[in-house]
Amino acid sequence: MPESKEFQENACRIKAEDVGLVYHSKHRKNDPNAGSFRALQHVNISVGAGEFLSLVGPSGCGKSTFLYILSGLQRLSEGTAWINGTPITGPALDRGIIMQAYALFPWRTVRKNVEFGLEVKRISKKDRRAIAEQFIELVGLSEFADRYPYELSGGMKQRIAIARALAYDPDVLLMDEPFAAVDEQTRGLLHEELLRIWEKTNKTIIFVTHSIDESIFLADRVAVMTPCPGKIKEILQIDLPRPRTPAIKSSSEFGAYRNRVWQLLQNEGERTEEVITLDGRKHLSTVPQEVSI
Amino acid sequence: MQDKIGIRDRLLAFFESSVVIIVLLVIWIVVPMFYDNMYVPSLLTVLAELWKTILSGELVLNAFTSLKVCFVGLLAGTIAGIALGLLLGWFKKAEMYLDPFFQVMRNTSTLALLPLFVLLFGVGDLSKILLIMWGTFFPMLINTTQGVKNADPVLIRSARSMAVSNAELFFKVVLPAASPYILSGFRLSAGVSLIVVVGAEMLGAYHGLGRMVFFSSTNYFISKMYAAIIVLAILGVVINALTSRLEDDLTKWQDKSVLSA
Repeated sequence: MPESKEFQENACRIKAEDVGLVYHSKHRKNDPNAGSFRALQHVNISVGAGEFLSLVGPSGCGKSTFLYILSGLQRLSEGTAWINGTPITGPALDRGIIMQAYALFPWRTVRKNVEFGLEVKRISKKDRRAIAEQFIELVGLSEFADRYPYELSGGMKQRIAIARALAYDPDVLLMDEPFAAVDEQTRGLLHEELLRIWEKTNKTIIFVTHSIDESIFLADRVAVMTPCPGKIKEILQIDLPRPRTPAIKSSSEFGAYRNRVWQLLQNEGERTEEVITLDGRKHLSTVPQEVSI
Repeated sequence: MQDKIGIRDRLLAFFESSVVIIVLLVIWIVVPMFYDNMYVPSLLTVLAELWKTILSGELVLNAFTSLKVCFVGLLAGTIAGIALGLLLGWFKKAEMYLDPFFQVMRNTSTLALLPLFVLLFGVGDLSKILLIMWGTFFPMLINTTQGVKNADPVLIRSARSMAVSNAELFFKVVLPAASPYILSGFRLSAGVSLIVVVGAEMLGAYHGLGRMVFFSSTNYFISKMYAAIIVLAILGVVINALTSRLEDDLTKWQDKSVLSA
């Protein structure tokens, strides 16, 4: 890691303080499911500038919900989430979200998709074009600039979604299982490409995934989340050298991290079962702590 | 790819698509030669009559009148249908209150209302324009409503994450997302407008192709009646081709391979 990056890590980009979320379903007469459901409880984390953080956990652990809270699209019901020292109250262009379903506008060409956020930012037509060109080139798809999304493969679509988010220059990229829908080989290429882009642009990235390998391979730290209610169980510092190559996945260090995350998720499975049969949804959350192996 | 298709393939395609029509036209020429019926004149007689009405200016005046009424009515119905469709698609409450009313109106035969429109707005163009507006309004309304409701929530969320204003969300996301529905509604409406104008002109008009058909038949100008029908058929095909073309051009961004595969 370059020294400048170490220095920047002193700055805190994202901070979550006791974030909780309770859904209240609408009341109907005689509906046994009416009431409230706790999706997140006591989520505490801070993410430094330029840091790559993975959130890993099984389906339903609230990791995507937490990401949407950070994006401003989902309101929280407890605690506070901050970006650059300001509480998050809604979406803004200081954060870019990248979804699993690509979410490219099908009626816009690649170029026009990348320009979308720039239009919202009221950037002139000429500058929009130049900036879009630059980021389409960054993801290596210049020759596809005038194609429509349906003409692209899944991997290409996701690279364009990344270019679109980078184009309006957010401080933080929020990625919601972005590579879950592409094939294994493409995913491997996208991992390396994402790391290359991250090192070049110095963005803070919060990356949600259910793949343990993916979370470790990419991140500086991995936050392991467990469900019912969703909370961060532990945050692991990943001290693998960068730049990372696929070969690292067969190293013994990588294996140790993998086992550790696996263990954290396994234990939780058993414990959650117990808790549900005993007292429903109520139980104390564990306070997340930093550990390194 | 299209320019690589050879001349033989093109001729074959033309033959395949037109052979049935050509055979029927030939029958229309041949049969009256052996079987004389005053209500079925030969196609050649009809074409001669058509030529006469073109030269006399009668056809142009009638066609122009019908098309003008069609165009104005279609335009008004389209604008009203899109505007209200956007409202009903976006606001659930608006749909709850207005949809039952529109359902009743929509399922009332448009031509059944013509006498009422004539009483209220006279025999001239206005009553017909309003009737066409009425008839074309509903396909536009229903399709636009459907298009807005089917707008992909993922795209709306994606746009919202980029902090768009409500106006931007509407014009940059919801409207384009609904556009394929709106365009196919427009194609339907254009067809409806021609049907309604002919019906309306038959029931009372000074000029127009519908009046030409009706007046000719009641006065035993049988060839002229056929001539007017042929012109209406051609107009219908042309209008459908133009609106289909418009639809294709404006929805180039959609993946059509799934449909043709």
